Amino acid sequence: MTYTQQKHMSYWILVLPGILVFIAIIMFPVIYSFLLSFTNWNGYGKPSYAGLENYKTILIDPVFLHSLRNNLLIIAVSVFGQIPLGFLLAYLLHRKVVRHGNFYQTMIFLPITISPVVVALLWNQIFSSSGMIVALIRSVTQNPQYVIKIFEDPEFAIMPILFVLLWMHTGTYMIIYYANLQKMTPSVLEAAQIDGASEAQMLGRIILPSMIATIATTAIFAISGSLKAFDLIYAMTGGGPAHFTEVIAIYMYVNTFKYYKYGFGSATSIIIVLLAVGLILILQSISKKFERRYE
Amino acid sequence: MKMNRFLSLVLVLLLLLPGLLLASGTKEAEKDGMIELSVYHYLDQTDKTTAPNFQHLVDVFESENPNIKLNFEYGYGESFHDKLQTMAMSGQLPDIILLYPGERTSQVTSAGLVKDLRPYLAGHESEFADMAMQAQGDNGEIWELPEDISITSIMYTNNKLLKNLGLSFPKTYDELIAQGAVIRNAGLIPISIANKDAWPMQSCLAGMLVERTCGMSWWNDVLAGNASYADPEFVYALDIIKDLQNQEMLSPGTNQLAYGQGLDDFVNERAVYFIDGGWTVNNMVGELTDEQKTYVSLESFPDIANQKGKSMSVSATAGQGFGMNANLTDEEAAAAWKWIWFYSGPEGSAIRQQYGRLPAYNLAEPEQADPMIKKLITFAGQVPMGYVMDSVIAAEPIGTFNINLQNMMFGTMTPEEVAKHLEDMVVALGR
Repeated sequence: MTYTQQKHMSYWILVLPGILVFIAIIMFPVIYSFLLSFTNWNGYGKPSYAGLENYKTILIDPVFLHSLRNNLLIIAVSVFGQIPLGFLLAYLLHRKVVRHGNFYQTMIFLPITISPVVVALLWNQIFSSSGMIVALIRSVTQNPQYVIKIFEDPEFAIMPILFVLLWMHTGTYMIIYYANLQKMTPSVLEAAQIDGASEAQMLGRIILPSMIATIATTAIFAISGSLKAFDLIYAMTGGGPAHFTEVIAIYMYVNTFKYYKYGFGSATSIIIVLLAVGLILILQSISKKFERRYE
Repeated sequence: MKMNRFLSLVLVLLLLLPGLLLASGTKEAEKDGMIELSVYHYLDQTDKTTAPNFQHLVDVFESENPNIKLNFEYGYGESFHDKLQTMAMSGQLPDIILLYPGERTSQVTSAGLVKDLRPYLAGHESEFADMAMQAQGDNGEIWELPEDISITSIMYTNNKLLKNLGLSFPKTYDELIAQGAVIRNAGLIPISIANKDAWPMQSCLAGMLVERTCGMSWWNDVLAGNASYADPEFVYALDIIKDLQNQEMLSPGTNQLAYGQGLDDFVNERAVYFIDGGWTVNNMVGELTDEQKTYVSLESFPDIANQKGKSMSVSATAGQGFGMNANLTDEEAAAAWKWIWFYSGPEGSAIRQQYGRLPAYNLAEPEQADPMIKKLITFAGQVPMGYVMDSVIAAEPIGTFNINLQNMMFGTMTPEEVAKHLEDMVVALGR
């Protein structure tokens, strides 16, 4: 065996365990799920081929479309709410605009350290019709029949969940931005200050352009995380009432594990993957445009 | 270098160890005549009433059968069913499993994964309520031995509150509706029911109303495919639920209230009536004061105009019970049957009856039981029983129906649409 062959062989030996683990844990389930999505398998026996029937059924199902709409709202809150707010908070802390920065940093980051189920129980205690807010309003208005109507509205029932998601995840983005802001060379900002740059100019011309890669990465996290949002929503409302707060992951879960439609559930999971990949590709193309502009 | 090799060896062993442990399997050992069996049970281990009660049963069984060791694994809510499905699919079904008589665990029973209990039960059939001995499989199989008769639609009534308001239990639906304003004006909830989970409205109210508006012959016809859920008499049952909602008779925000809140409102005397299943007596034994137990009664929903079913009828089904893995050896199966028979047979049933359950095994009324348990036993002996919808309709149509009942209450679907949707699904998926 020549030296080059030995070298190639050693590469393979070193890489093979990783490849095998990757195939077993990542590739096999994805391919298996993709193949299952074209069947009507109920968990037992031989799957029967269903062609594109599962995909057709899903894409015209009003429950799926409402779930997709809820997911898009969660993405909007993540990308246009959590990320800007997280950046703003990080910026305020970094520029030492507020005193006791460490205290605020801890308080803002705290929600993400709590289990989503505990967060759901906590907010349910506040929002539910046997909860704190309703009890207070009933007591003030002397109306024991009072309930918060937005929870029973198909369009607005998701709003409290969006608020909780904003409350819960903003801290994560704040920490990421804060860490990246601290990596910036202070002399650059000092030089800008000496040259007479205002705070807005420094933010718009120096800080934001240098953070584009980080913003793009966090946006990818936000999109992929939003599309697979499940735990908090399931614990808070279970997707109800009447599917009003359902998201695609709950739709997939219910069909797969409650109705034993594994083929249907697999097709839903493939749609989630395609949506995530599509949105991330759009995002990457936008971020590349910005990167080119500031190069 | 030697140190590096040693560390590499340790690393490899650490990597292999979990795999080796998993590969060794979890099959129970049989040592010194001791038989160990794995049991998968539906139990909320945080429930301060049911969890210790169940543990007492296990303790009694193990003290009487020192050669049988039961290793329990618990699930609760949807996660119980998810895990059961996963275990079944992966060929790791436990030796003894809690199963349901209807559609809920049919993915396990219809796949031939559990034994038919008829050979074990032979000669004891007459000792159980007729409802509990109905066939569970296509060929008459009994997959699980029902522990209880589950009445799912009892109208618990606080007679003290009724008396204070100058009212008495209504004989008709119209009388019930007329009471609504009086009860609400007193700052109370007319009928406490919590429907966030979507199943209570169907299981505890709709099934009973369907028997009232349609009658049992219609029920049998529709199950055989000779009638339709879109029939006007079925729609009439849904109209009543819609009317109860419109007339503000149900708990405010009922579709936002988590199960358990209904009982809480009733026990704390914020509600005059409370609609729930007989299983709630189990909790009432501990939650109601001795004084409350004297004036809380168990009633049937009042008569409905033009009802085709029987007065006082309720919805009821044979409850869940333990079944056994089809792959057990004769010796293991004999040990498993000892537990199943203990639990659902005379001994376990007598213990469970003391705790407020309504065993499927025929027992004499206990002399020392809690007043609420005596009331439940008396009630069960008086009322005609119809079907519980989720025990006779498959998981997907009934799951969708439950959600559609919520839609109907919010006004996003009409009763006719809900009924037609159920019929369409049942036709498409098979009855």
